[in-house]
Formats: sequence, C-alpha cells, structure tokens
Amino acid sequence: MADAVAVTSQIRKRKSVGQPLPQIDSAEKVKGLTQYLQDLSVPGMLYGAIVRSAIPHGLIREIDTSRAERLSGVRAVITARDCPGVLFGPQEPQDWEILCRNKVRYIGDEVAAVAAISPDVAKEAAALVRVEYQELPAVYDPFEALKPGAPVLWEQHPDNVAYRFHIERGDLEAGFARADDVFEHDFYTGRFYHGQMEPMGCIVQYHADGGYTIWTPTHLPFRSRMTYSKGLGVSMDKIRIVVPPFGGSFGMKYELNINCIAALLSKKSRRPVKIFFEREEDIGAGHPRMGLHFHYRLGVTRDGRFVAKEARVVGTGGARTFWTPPVLSTACYRIDSLYHFQNVRTEGFLVYTNQSPATCFRGFGNAEALTALETFIDEIGERTGIDPVELRRMNGVKAGDVSLHGWRIASCGLRECLDRAESVSGFRNRKPPPKIPPRRGVVRGIGLAAGHHISGNRIIINEYDGASAQVRLGFDGQVAVIVGEPDIGQGMNTVFAQIAAEVLDVDPASVRSLPIDTLVSPHGVGTLGSRGTTVAGRAVQLAAEDARTKLVSLAAELLGVPPQEIRLQSGSAVVASGGGSLSMAELGREYATRYGGAFLIGHGHFTPPTEIPDATKYGNLSTSYVFGTHVAEVEVDTETGATRVVRYWALHDSGTIINPSTATGQVHGGVAQGIASALLEEVLVKDGRVTNPNFLDYRIPGFQDIPEMYVEFVETKDPYGPFGAKSIGESSLNPTAAAVCNAIYNAVGVRVHQTPVTPERLWKLLETARTEARKKE
Amino acid sequence: MEITLTINDRTFKADVEPRLLLVHFIRENACLTGTHIGCETTTCGACTILLDGKAVKSCTLLAVQARGKRLTTVEGLMKNGRLHPIQEAFWEEHGLQCGYCTPGMIMAAYHLLQENPNPSDEQIRRGLEGNLCRCTGYQNIVKAIQSAAAKLA
Repeated sequence: MADAVAVTSQIRKRKSVGQPLPQIDSAEKVKGLTQYLQDLSVPGMLYGAIVRSAIPHGLIREIDTSRAERLSGVRAVITARDCPGVLFGPQEPQDWEILCRNKVRYIGDEVAAVAAISPDVAKEAAALVRVEYQELPAVYDPFEALKPGAPVLWEQHPDNVAYRFHIERGDLEAGFARADDVFEHDFYTGRFYHGQMEPMGCIVQYHADGGYTIWTPTHLPFRSRMTYSKGLGVSMDKIRIVVPPFGGSFGMKYELNINCIAALLSKKSRRPVKIFFEREEDIGAGHPRMGLHFHYRLGVTRDGRFVAKEARVVGTGGARTFWTPPVLSTACYRIDSLYHFQNVRTEGFLVYTNQSPATCFRGFGNAEALTALETFIDEIGERTGIDPVELRRMNGVKAGDVSLHGWRIASCGLRECLDRAESVSGFRNRKPPPKIPPRRGVVRGIGLAAGHHISGNRIIINEYDGASAQVRLGFDGQVAVIVGEPDIGQGMNTVFAQIAAEVLDVDPASVRSLPIDTLVSPHGVGTLGSRGTTVAGRAVQLAAEDARTKLVSLAAELLGVPPQEIRLQSGSAVVASGGGSLSMAELGREYATRYGGAFLIGHGHFTPPTEIPDATKYGNLSTSYVFGTHVAEVEVDTETGATRVVRYWALHDSGTIINPSTATGQVHGGVAQGIASALLEEVLVKDGRVTNPNFLDYRIPGFQDIPEMYVEFVETKDPYGPFGAKSIGESSLNPTAAAVCNAIYNAVGVRVHQTPVTPERLWKLLETARTEARKKE
Repeated sequence: MEITLTINDRTFKADVEPRLLLVHFIRENACLTGTHIGCETTTCGACTILLDGKAVKSCTLLAVQARGKRLTTVEGLMKNGRLHPIQEAFWEEHGLQCGYCTPGMIMAAYHLLQENPNPSDEQIRRGLEGNLCRCTGYQNIVKAIQSAAAKLA
C-alpha cells in the first residue's frame, strides 16, 4: 500500500489532492437551499414533545395522562407501558429505558411523551401529564457518590460505579524508585456543551410491516441502528436510517433516545412524528462532555526522563450511560502514546450521578487528559529547571516507536511541530512569569502545549475496523462516491471527491458524494474517532483505483489499443500516443448500454493494521497517529481575572493534507472550541437543575472572543491513509485548553487547576496569591 | 389578523395568529427554509433577515410586526441565477462548514457592508457579534466579508 501511494504521486503532479477547494455542497448552503432536519417534513407528520422528570431522583407513583389525551389535536400519549421494557444502550452498562418505568434519575429524565398536530399543542399536552413521585435523596458530586451510604441510582451498581478502568504496564514501584523527583497534579475539566447550531432532532415513521424509517443527522447510522433495534424490539433490517445534512454535532448526535421515543409515538399514532428540540431542552436535558477529575503522580529523573506515572481519573457520567465508558478509558490511557512514561498504572471510575447523562465531545477524553497533562508538564519544567519544550522532545514518541500499550507510531511530526511552534510564535523568548501577581493592569503571557490523537479506532464496533467504498460512473456521466460514513458538516464529502478525482483525473467539483441511507449505503463504522479521511478516504482511493482499471480496459477495447496505451487525463480516457479519446460521459453511457444500464463500479475496501486490545489492553488501536503543538498568547486583567486570547499559533502533523482549506477550517473551529472550554463555557448545575440552559447564560464564543490564528501543517509521510493523509478533526482542539492555561500562568504566575478559568475563579487565585505574598512581607 | 408583507419581492397575504413569530411565517407560510432557528432568544443570529433593509433577528419579532414591510431572506439575494458577491465570497473563502449559521451570517454581513462598504477586521467582528458560529472559529467568515467588500467595491 505504501508503494501505491508513492507511485501515484510519482506518475504526475497532483491536480486535486492538496488543492484548497471550496466544499462541494457550499453552493447550496450559501443559497439557503440545504435541507436540514429542521426543514424536513413528511406528509401527515405530527410533532412530539417529551414529559420530563421535574425531580432529580425518585420513584414514580402514578402517571395520569388523561387530561393530555383529551386535549384537542393530541394523537398519542405514551409511557413506559408502551415500551418493550428492555434495558438497552450504546455502551455497557446498558441502562436506557426509552421511558422511565419505576424511577427517575435526573431532572429531565424521560417519563412520557405526546404526539400532536403542532409543536404548540404537543407542548401543551406534555404539560398536562401529571406525574406523582416519591422523592429520593440525590447525589451530584462523583466523590460523594463513591462514598458508602450514598444514594444509589441503579440497584445493579450499588457503588454507583458504572464502569471501572484499570491499566498497568511495567513496574510502577521500580519506576518511582528510579525517579529523582516525584510530582503530583490535580486537574478538573468541567461539563461542556457541544453548542452545535442545530439542536437535536429526528423524524420517525412507523411502517405497517413493523419497521421504522428514521431521518436524523447521526455520526453512526449503522451502529445506532443496532442500539435502536434492541430498544424497539425489532430486527436491524427493519430500521432504515436516512441522514440529512448536519447542522453541527461535535459528538452530540451519536445515538439518542429521542429516536426511540419518536418511533413509539409513531407506532401508536400511525403517523410520522418529528421531535426537534428548542435550545433550552438541548442544553438542559442534553448530553454534555462529562466533567473529569485527574490526579497524576509522575516520577522524573534528574535529566528529565519520565520513568513512572500513576493516575486516577474520575468521570461524572450522569444518570445513564451514553458514550462515556470509552471516553473515560481514552482519558485514562491515550496520553501513554504521546510520551514514554515507561511504567504506568491508571485507575478510572465512571460514576453515576443525578444529572443528565454526559456523552462524548470532539477530543473524546483525550482533550481533557491533555489539558491536565500539558499543564502538569509546564509546571514540571519550571520546577526542574528543564525547558518544558525540551521535556516534550526528550520523552515524546517518534516515528517507528511502539508505545507502552502496543500502539505503532508509523509517522510522527511531534518534534517538527514543537520546533516550528517555538520559532513562529516567539515562545522561546518569553519573559518569566511575575513572582507575585500584579495588583493592577492588563498583563500578557504566552503558553505552549502539545497534543496528539488517533486516526480511526479499532474498537468502535466489535466485528471489524475499516471502511468500504464504491466509485461509480453512470449512464449520465456522473462520477459518484458511495461510502457508509456521513459528512458531519466538516467537509468530508469534499475530501472524498478530491481523492476520487485525483485517481481518475476528473474535476473534483464534478464528483458527487452520495448521502447516507442504511437501505442503500454500504455498512460503515461511522464518522468518529477522526477516522473519516484516513480510513474511509483510503477505501475511496482504492475504489477509484479499481474504477480506473475498469475504465482503462473499457476505453482500450473501444479505441482498439492495448490498455497500457490508455491514460486518464482531464476527464477523458486518451490514447497516450495520440489518436483518439473518450470522455467520462461517453464511457459511462457505453458501459451502461452494453450491460443493461449498469453502473461502472470500482470497489474498494481498507482494513487498517489495527488490533483488538488483549485482556491487558495491549494492541495497536489506530491506523495512524497525529501530533500538534499550540501556542496561545493571552491578556489577563489582574483586577477582574478576565482573560482574553489575543494571538494563536497551531502547528499540526496530519500527514498529507488533502484539502488545505477544509483542514485549516477544522483547526480554526477546534481552537475556538478549545478556547471556549478553557475560558468561557460550563454547564452549571444546582441541585440537579441546569441553571444556564440558553445561549444568553451559556455563552459560546462570538467574533470578538476568538483571535486571528496562524495555522501550519508539517506534512509527514504515513503509509496507510489516502496519499499519506492522517486526521485533523479532533487533534485540532486537543492542546488548546492547556496552551491557554499555561499562558495564564506565564502572565500572572498563578497555576490554574480547573477549566473553565472564569474571571471569578482566576480572581480568587490571584487574590490568594497576593494575600500570601503580603503575609510574607 | 390579516397581514400583507413582501418577501424577496413576492407579496404574501395571510390570516395569522397574533402570536405567530416572523421566523415561523417565513419558514412555514412562505416556505423559505433558508432562515434557520438556533436559539429562540435572539442570541445566535441564525434567523437574521433584512426588514426594510435592516438586519433583524426574526425569531423574536411577531409576523404582525412585519405588516406592510419589505423583507429579504437569503433566498432573495441571487439575481439572474447568479450568486450575490457575499454568497460567492462565503463559498470561495470557505466561510462555513455545516452551514447552519451561514444564511444569518450572510444577511448580517449584507447589512454591515451597506452601512460600511470597507470595514476593517475589527469592524466586521464588532458588526457581527450578534451572530454565532460553532464550526469556523470565525476566521474565514471575516475573510469572506473582506473579500465580499472588495467584490462590491
């Protein structure tokens, strides 16, 4: 495979790969013609509304739906009695119910649902459902929940631990014995909401044969079908999922119970049902990134080598299990493939609490772990007197390394990113932090952090890792790419078109990537784990190569020359020595004419060199690994604690860049979200109730909160992805929060141990430092 | 209540409930779904349209408040089958990703460029602070508006 990459690029200069092309669906988007879920309707469609628990924890005594049922315009009211009653869900432990049977576990838990002729009537009917509860004591803090005697959310889990993670490699005690210094560090990353511009929603239609059609933007049309099929008690083939264009997600729209609720409403009313959240429901009862507590102990030798790391990670999972178990495990051990810690032991606890269930967010626990780790390394650098960038160079992985847990790093641009970051940002010439935070005035500081990520992940579904694709040419001359992985708004369809266009030498703007429909698309693992370009893109490349072989042989036959005489060039098959050519349109028509209208189809499938981790969690998890370094410059108002990022540099190794425009866009967006997580955003919960469930109180960054950014790609050669491409979607965000926190330290000389660093939190730290300094005087 | 208003040079007459929001009138009565709803609280700007030439957020206006007014939505910007220079600039400069906020951004930019045909970065950022985007970090939106200003000059 490595050869194929090298050969393709040697044959001719690339025309499509590497070009900063606009997204192929941008024209529709700027015209306002893209049909998002919000814009879709199905004939006869009703609107659903959910009756949610008003208390954080309690037993359901009685549900009275009679007034809702009598309201004019109501077509169905459902409760647990209408549900199949199995526990199901996307991860272990499976603890979804569709609607609560005996007990509610958070404010917002789904108790009943109604379908009515308009959203207003549905809302009114939902408000008429009366639920009587017997309240139980609730618990919100994970450390409280872990104590003996704490309120228990699930009988099956009397210790409130939904999932426990353990990993151990090497000899931890021996490692610490070798260390000259041992440092400790605590960090907490807060609950953070996706803030995707389009709230969650779905349309579901029940069919007389017992099946369902679901229209919903989901990263995981095929995998979620497995989840819903268990919950609804129908076989997988009875569920068809059609994926409309996404209005953003960032991890929110994986697998959602609303699809099952709408399905049962449709089954009862025999009408299609749409559920579409208003912002308040999307934040208040939605599924944010979970709060994570990190405790690290790190042994370091005098010359700066890491020799032992012990960690404890505690996640506030909320009342049910979404994608939090793999997020927790990622937060526990992915960093072991960025630095060689040599001997490690990590314990992780995913804890049930009486809050809305958390789920994954871009970065998938690694962004949070890197926030904790990279602020720690900055501090270790200062305390040992070894340049923190040098610490990273010394301990960082290199191309050809195998990490402690068996992850094979085929290519690695970590050092190049560190070098370039230092030289473009001026980080090397930074001034030292002040000994005592100034009393007045605005001060500047600069901070650096590194990061890494995967490009695909072996254990998303058990059966396989990989992707398949078809590249086809039809009677009408249209070249189309067919995959099982949806474009989630980031521009993946454009990247697929560029890959196919490169192989076939056609105009990438003329290539279509078809929308995903489980009825017709090939089975896909999904768009997650930063796997789209690398894994699915590689399948597209192979499919296009297969199509090229078939096109060449067809053209050779038609033009009466041997296949080696045929070249694909600028949208045509031409005879190399001159004397004839056929356009794609002619070839498509000729093929269809010969074979009963058939498409000429190139097939491709790619199985990455990944392994299911063994019982000790050893095994190569990802196709390839990406690296980056960010530098943030901040201004801190020392009187108020308010922090602003004023300059930013992002350096990334994502292998070959297929589309510099979309790749750079990914970095821009990732950095903006990283800054938001570092400084601005937190879902606030008081007594189990979200107190900021709207965009006024939960403020996502605006134009003035995000500075201009410098983005540069350090291209390495990776043997697996298409043309050597790796990922960028998540690595773009991973180092950001740590870079900002380190910059705050450089500005004011105070270490933060919690994000977001709100003005109030920083002001308290500044005041404490100033008071202590005064006492010493 | 009876209302008459003009959207993208087409006249609409309707009998609407007084509580009907303008954005719902645009999306449901006029079937123009390019104007999106993102927050219902005038904060995100996805529903920005022009009301008598001024950018407003249609999620917190009532349809009856637009009686007798001239409205322009994103669908009304193309002329003779050609993209408006602002639309063209958003496309070329990759000023969008998922595209959900884009119509609102384009309409807010339209108003800004009418008021100030040659805005600085700073002025663009201040002028559009009422519009939120979660995908782009705003970098290419600023670039797109600068590029549009150059095209319109």
